Amino acid sequence: MGSSHTNILQGTLDLLILKALRPGELHGLGVSRRIEQMTHGTFQVKPGSLFPALHRMEENGWLASYWGESENNRRAKFYRLTKVGERQLGEETQQWQKIALAMTNALKST
Amino acid sequence: MVLWSRLKSLFRNLFHRRAVEEDLDDEVRTYVEMLAAENEAAGVAPVEARRRALAEFGGAEHLKQTVREKRTGTMLESIGQDLRLGVRQLFKSPGFGVTVIATLALSIGITTAVFSVLYAMLVRPLPYRDVSQIVALDTRSAGGGSQAASYPEYLDWRRMSHSFSALAGYKLAGTVGLESTSGPVVLREVQGTDNFFDVFGVNPIIGRTFAAGEDADGKNDVVVLSYEVWRQDFGGSDSAVGQQVKMDGSEYTVIGVMPAGFRFPINVANAVYIPLHLSMSQRQNRGNHWLYTVARLKSAVLPKQAEADLTTIFAALGKGDTFNAGRTVAAVDLTTFTVGSSAGSLWLLLYAVGAVLAIGCVNVAGLLLARGVKREREMALRSAIGAPRLRIVRQLVTEAVVFAVVGAAGGVVLAFGLLRVIRLLLIAALSRGAEVGVNLPTLAAALAISVAVTVIAALIPGLRLSGTSPTLALKAGGSAGSSRGQNRLRTGFVVTQVALALALLLVSGLLLHMLQGLRSTQLGFSADRMLTVEVNLPRGRYQGRDVLADFYNPLVDKIGALPGVRAVGLIQMLPVQGWGWNSEHIHIMGTPPLKSPRTDPAEVRFVSAGYYQVFEDRLVEGRLQDPSIDRPTTRLVTVVNEAFVKKFIPAGRDPVGMEIGDDGQTDTLASQQNPRALIVGVVKNLRQTIYQPPMPEMDYLIAQVPEKESLNALGSMHLVMRTAVDPTSFVPALRRVFHEVDQTVPMQEPVTMQQVIADVLTFERLENWLFGAFAAMAVILAIVGLYGLITHEVELSTREIGIRLALGASRSKIFLGIFRRVGWMLAAGIAIGLLVTTAAQRFIGAVVAIEIQKDGLLMAALAAALLGIGFAATLLPARRAASVEPMEALRDE
Repeated sequence: MGSSHTNILQGTLDLLILKALRPGELHGLGVSRRIEQMTHGTFQVKPGSLFPALHRMEENGWLASYWGESENNRRAKFYRLTKVGERQLGEETQQWQKIALAMTNALKST
Repeated sequence: MVLWSRLKSLFRNLFHRRAVEEDLDDEVRTYVEMLAAENEAAGVAPVEARRRALAEFGGAEHLKQTVREKRTGTMLESIGQDLRLGVRQLFKSPGFGVTVIATLALSIGITTAVFSVLYAMLVRPLPYRDVSQIVALDTRSAGGGSQAASYPEYLDWRRMSHSFSALAGYKLAGTVGLESTSGPVVLREVQGTDNFFDVFGVNPIIGRTFAAGEDADGKNDVVVLSYEVWRQDFGGSDSAVGQQVKMDGSEYTVIGVMPAGFRFPINVANAVYIPLHLSMSQRQNRGNHWLYTVARLKSAVLPKQAEADLTTIFAALGKGDTFNAGRTVAAVDLTTFTVGSSAGSLWLLLYAVGAVLAIGCVNVAGLLLARGVKREREMALRSAIGAPRLRIVRQLVTEAVVFAVVGAAGGVVLAFGLLRVIRLLLIAALSRGAEVGVNLPTLAAALAISVAVTVIAALIPGLRLSGTSPTLALKAGGSAGSSRGQNRLRTGFVVTQVALALALLLVSGLLLHMLQGLRSTQLGFSADRMLTVEVNLPRGRYQGRDVLADFYNPLVDKIGALPGVRAVGLIQMLPVQGWGWNSEHIHIMGTPPLKSPRTDPAEVRFVSAGYYQVFEDRLVEGRLQDPSIDRPTTRLVTVVNEAFVKKFIPAGRDPVGMEIGDDGQTDTLASQQNPRALIVGVVKNLRQTIYQPPMPEMDYLIAQVPEKESLNALGSMHLVMRTAVDPTSFVPALRRVFHEVDQTVPMQEPVTMQQVIADVLTFERLENWLFGAFAAMAVILAIVGLYGLITHEVELSTREIGIRLALGASRSKIFLGIFRRVGWMLAAGIAIGLLVTTAAQRFIGAVVAIEIQKDGLLMAALAAALLGIGFAATLLPARRAASVEPMEALRDE
């Protein structure tokens, strides 16, 4: 797996998952692959972090899940964003942008 | 929104656990399968594809556990596990569990019951308006003896004082017979001045109370009913008011009904309240002190100011009145007045309860701590295999909570049960006995204290254990719990328990001793086979009649004729039960004249000749009265007791033949025609009241009571009889005789003299009973604690003992070694217990005095007994220690 992968910052996993599910529902592996793709392979989410995060977010009511068929006709558990989840995505995005801007400014200053 | 969704999850997680788990399993499985499929699609061989998928996925069980821990309700679930474990532990070692639970239940139950009694007696306000403004006037004579007001005095006080919005007089006239529709009923009668009800500020529920001036003759045949009487004898009907009733043969009009709970005096139940009915002598005689006073202070007037006000009045009135000079008064607030002498005993009970609670808590703490130490390695092991610290502590606490809850439930049940028993005993003994109920705040407090102690005691080893590194605890093995700090703690527990148990044992022992003393005290007579019954003549019916010829003589004759009756007599105040009918101005003719008003009173008794046959063999000197010699028309004679001789007759003079003087306003029955009473005989003392040594007494023959005073002096008498067989078997015959003589006279329930004495001592008995129970419990708890702690100690040092045995120590040496250690602890406990008891003398003194020379032996015996019990509790564990097999012990550990 190598050291080329950056560890996901605490708190960003939720945002990434929400973002990954924004366009539409995905199963667990799909979420993982979408994040990898979105971040150009910088973040690879392992099941060990993905599962607890998905379950926790579902309990919070941000995600909803159901059993469905995958692209190659396999049974899989799908997750989709709820209304609450969309709102959460909005909030977390804003917050993240604030932080990112602040960090960028901080690092730019001499 | 989040909350709602969480609640839904919680519900699902708790109640559809299996579905949730299967769902998770499925999800994991399909994830791995998809990974494998991906690999296969990339051209990897199926078996290898699956292997790589599993490897990428990582530890599935660990992952599932992580997910589970994130679930809502995990906490609840693990607490449930702890609870189940706790209950299982309880059943695994039932001895330990039962001990802890029983200790808790007893501590909580007893504390609550006794606290509730104390609350009802001492704290709860009396059922009157603005109780703090009501005072009872404790008036005393110059000599300090309690002396009520005479009616003329009362009128002066009322007229001259400025401190009171109402100053009322009242008289307990004893009982009155009401002719109800279902036959005669005996009620308690309270007579008061017209402003009696103004003092209490309580309004009647129907009708009215006394109007001003209604205590005057001719207007005073009205009655206010207590709630109980109204319900029981008037059917609780509104039409009771205005009704004409017959009481003791006189006609009364019912004018009002008081609300439930109103009573004055507070211990008088089933009362009727009527305005004063005065005899001529009561109305006019300033020396006739019989009227008790109670008053409501004007607002902003303090009791001290009222006392000053009255003192000024007393001084003014006392001038020129040799017999009433020097009177003092204390305005006693009504609560103190009501609680009276029982307060000291009740407070002492409180300390005893505190001590038992303390012993109980120490016991529970000791047991739990010991157990915690024993489980040190279990905990260390759990910690070593990864149980989080919090989880271990939580488990210990949950277990303790299981104990605490079961113990608390037992305590609640016990409290209610115990109170029921105490109430039965209290009703007779204490003024507010019937009103005692479980005090809920107290119950809550007792529960809180014991549960807190239990949990803390469980928490301490838990915190300590979870703090130490597991390897250390595991390695420490044999020396578990043998650290110095723990040793000291255990020793402290044993010493505390022994000390408290001894203190309780001593106090209860002394009380028991005192009670026995009182019971078999030099009463001056034997109470065996004696029956007594109170007689109250209906005033209206016997007014102006010869009560002896018309009632008492035929009654006594008929009873005396019953087979099996050895003697029968009459006296107006029953020995042991009553006193205070006295005369204050005793002057013996031929002795130096009275300097100032003499203040030493002598009790006055009116007796029939038969009385001396019932209270037999008492004549010391001279003769007894004889109705055939001593008639109404002959010389007034009296028989005095030895205490009288000692007090009033100069040493060396022969009392027989001396005369008791004519100082005027006395109750000696001296009169114009018969100015002096001749002493014809001296009798042995008998106790007028069980609590005091015999007082001086002069006995007069009922036949010599002047006719105009006869109803006053003889209207209420006690019939006493001594029988050859069981006295209670005479009750039906007695009833028949009463009926034959006068069926309108209500007959009270006859009681044996033994019963009278027992009734007088009810409170002492209760106190002893409770103290005995406390002491017994304290001792049992101490034994349990001692046994538990020593057993624990032996268990802990099994390895050490094994080594010592292996090194050649003899078994007897091990055995003795343990006893020596325990001996020290017991000795320290006993020393402290003795010190505590002595130090507490100040509190205990109100109830029982410790006299070292008299009670020293008893105290030493009790201490020795406790020492013996302590050693007995050590015997079993010590023997077990001495029988340790060295090899086994070493291997075991």
